[in-house]
Amino acid sequence: MRRFTLTAMAVVGLVAMVFAAGGSAGTSQKPKQGGTVVFAAEQEPPCLNTALAGCNNTWTSWTAGTATRGLYILKPNFSAVPDIADGEGQIVKRNPFTLRMKIKQKAVWSDGVPVTGKDVAFTWRTFINPRNDVASRSGYDSIKSVSGTGKTVTVVFKQPFAPWKQLWANPLYPAHALTGTDFNTVWNESFKNKSGQNISNGPFVLQSYVKGQSITMVRNPRWWGPHKPYLDKVTFVFRTNTDTEIQAIRGGEVDVIYPQPQLQLADLKGQSGLKVVSNAGTTLEHIDFNAQLKGGMPLLRAPWFRQAISYSIDRTAMVKQLFRTLNPTLTPLQNLTYANSQKGLYKPHFEAYKYNPAKVTQIMQKHNCTKGGDGIWSCGGVKASIKFGTTSGNRLRELALEIMQAQAKNAGFQFVPDSEPSRLFFPRVSDGNYHMALFAWVGSGDPYGQTDIYGCGGESNWKGYCSNKVTKLLRDSDKELNPTRRAALVNTADAIMALNVPTLPLYQKPTYLVHKTKIRGIRDNPTNQGPTDNMEDWWVS
Amino acid sequence: MLTYILRRLLYSIPVLIAASFLIFMAVSAMGDPLAELELNPLASEETIANVREKKHLDDPLVVQYGYWVKDAVTNGFGTPLLTEEPIWNDLKRVIPHTLALVLAAELIALLVGVSIGIYSAIRQYSLFDYSATTLSFLGFAMPVFWLALMLQIAFTNLFLAWNVRIFYTSGLSSVDPGTGIHWLLDRAQHLAIPVMVLAVLQIAIYSRYMRASLLEVVNSDYVRTARAKGLHENKVTMRHAVRNALIPVVTLSALSFGALIGGAVITETIFQLDGMGNYFIQNLFNQDVYPIMAWLMITATMIILFNLVADILYGVLDPRVRYD
Repeated sequence: MRRFTLTAMAVVGLVAMVFAAGGSAGTSQKPKQGGTVVFAAEQEPPCLNTALAGCNNTWTSWTAGTATRGLYILKPNFSAVPDIADGEGQIVKRNPFTLRMKIKQKAVWSDGVPVTGKDVAFTWRTFINPRNDVASRSGYDSIKSVSGTGKTVTVVFKQPFAPWKQLWANPLYPAHALTGTDFNTVWNESFKNKSGQNISNGPFVLQSYVKGQSITMVRNPRWWGPHKPYLDKVTFVFRTNTDTEIQAIRGGEVDVIYPQPQLQLADLKGQSGLKVVSNAGTTLEHIDFNAQLKGGMPLLRAPWFRQAISYSIDRTAMVKQLFRTLNPTLTPLQNLTYANSQKGLYKPHFEAYKYNPAKVTQIMQKHNCTKGGDGIWSCGGVKASIKFGTTSGNRLRELALEIMQAQAKNAGFQFVPDSEPSRLFFPRVSDGNYHMALFAWVGSGDPYGQTDIYGCGGESNWKGYCSNKVTKLLRDSDKELNPTRRAALVNTADAIMALNVPTLPLYQKPTYLVHKTKIRGIRDNPTNQGPTDNMEDWWVS
Repeated sequence: MLTYILRRLLYSIPVLIAASFLIFMAVSAMGDPLAELELNPLASEETIANVREKKHLDDPLVVQYGYWVKDAVTNGFGTPLLTEEPIWNDLKRVIPHTLALVLAAELIALLVGVSIGIYSAIRQYSLFDYSATTLSFLGFAMPVFWLALMLQIAFTNLFLAWNVRIFYTSGLSSVDPGTGIHWLLDRAQHLAIPVMVLAVLQIAIYSRYMRASLLEVVNSDYVRTARAKGLHENKVTMRHAVRNALIPVVTLSALSFGALIGGAVITETIFQLDGMGNYFIQNLFNQDVYPIMAWLMITATMIILFNLVADILYGVLDPRVRYD
């Protein structure tokens, strides 16, 4: 859930689907100027500088982070479009990969200093400075140089870098305000320039940060966008307990919430004066099969066995059971990289894995497996009893695991619960000490980083899956600058993985935006950019 | 008395040192605090190395404890694992919020609980006594989180039905609380339900203690003597019996006040109050050993101090008790 690690450098490609409740609060009325919106934030930023490892969580970006916009911005359909950049960046040379980007003439910081190439270069230098405790340098460390002091900037990469737009969707930092300061501390509590004034290149400027209580953003009088921000003020109050934030919006104490999925949200759908919007988010829930000898289970090394397990799980029924009241139209995900609304990119390679006990029997018998008296398969003396764990305390995952356990038992597989709290579960999984694990990757819609997860010896390939062909395809995709050719490479790899099943995709965890109907112009952005990316368009009717 | 207090304070130092060492070892045993960050393949290796060096995470636990003691004593408990904001600043912010909550709840609980206890004892086996007994058992049995959620829902429903804001269901104050009396009223509207939740259990406890204690005292010889001397019954009860009967209640109150300084964890979490309890929970979820240690040390110190206060009050209320 970290913007810098996972926004710019997507681990998994996901995209939003606008479901039944619809997208923006459409209106034919003319937006009104003025008013305040109170937004309940589900986490309190530990500090305000989103770049730092200690401050870096999604809510930091969605609250105070709105004061620092990037050259690009991620839209709800996962596309990266120019924001401060004046039009698309131009690839001027392929070897070395060189980009030229223009900055909008009108773009200024709220203290009147223009946004220029100096800020782009300063941002890059800040990120690669080893003394700065930034969350991630990924992408910035692929850059050889950044030059240009005016409204044009030239970026030279060490090698072709496909997700360059996502990289520049990260915030820019002001050279004039931060040069010569200690980046690890200077913007932890405020966004002050050298004259002690909070500054911003976004539509709102930080007015106050009351630790433990709220962050207040007020209209930036020098906002360079197409229109003045309509609202006077947006206050983010911290409500880290989901039950509490639901009561707070029911009782009108806050105007907007963006909570984790909870069954109580279904009650809000019927309340007059409230609107519930649900999209498929960037959290990709999946099952990893450990194909390693160490810590794994011998049968799981065989692709046919993993296929058989995949046929024993009714993903459609499970998704319906989990989300029938909250998002009845949610469907299982059938691709490890792209989501099913990424038109032209998404290919449903895992669609074949529908619940099919007859197919399970066919596969198991073909491999000389027999069913014991308890109805569980055994192959070569090894019983199909598999440890299946997730992060205990996560109610949705625990319920999903129980549902799958019952389904698989009917098909002759025994899933033995093996869950632990996340602080114990993930270190164990990353050590390869598991059979099957249910968890999620969080991404931004770009396939960059898949090599780490599915490539031979990848840093996050804890399952030990290795296909030289898949590894090469994914590596090539990271350097392929043509989007169509890049998607083809990724999909070819995905099709191979659908046969080998190192991982079974389950679903995209839905996002929920609940707001008062009088708040107009607000809409969900299920990417890591979050629901506050268009705050300048919000108004109160 | 002063010698006694000084001796008790001196005794508490080794207790605190032993407690801090054991807690540090136990919290550190939760695992590598940077493990989650290290799982992210895109996390900066330099940053992880910087934090490891800054926090001496590669040193043996005993050495780490030594650095923690140095920070705790000379640097206001130092800073959290990944951020640079001094922990003491956070504690200075959250302690007054918890104090306000706990003080209000304790005062109300003492007033109501003691009054109920006295009346129940005076009117033993009356309808009031039976009702108070039943309600106090209900108060004991009611889980705090359940009561908190029920009150939140009830007051939200009241607002939806009448469109009148009686109390707020979360937070410490409104977005624009105003100043002076407006601020005070706003704060009272925010603290009312959490205070109610905390007070219910305490009222149940104090009323039972007071009733039992007073029943014991009213049958003692010196009370009988006072009655025999012709004193008015009210005077006998209030001046002679209640003072002695208060001893266990006051002692209990001092002890529970000390424990509550650590924060009413459930209440503060549900009502999103920026107090010690909420601070502890947030840092526990973040697995940040340094703020957890600071919280534990403050809580332990308060418990030790209020144990001492309870002993001193015992002596003040009971002239037979003298400290050497």
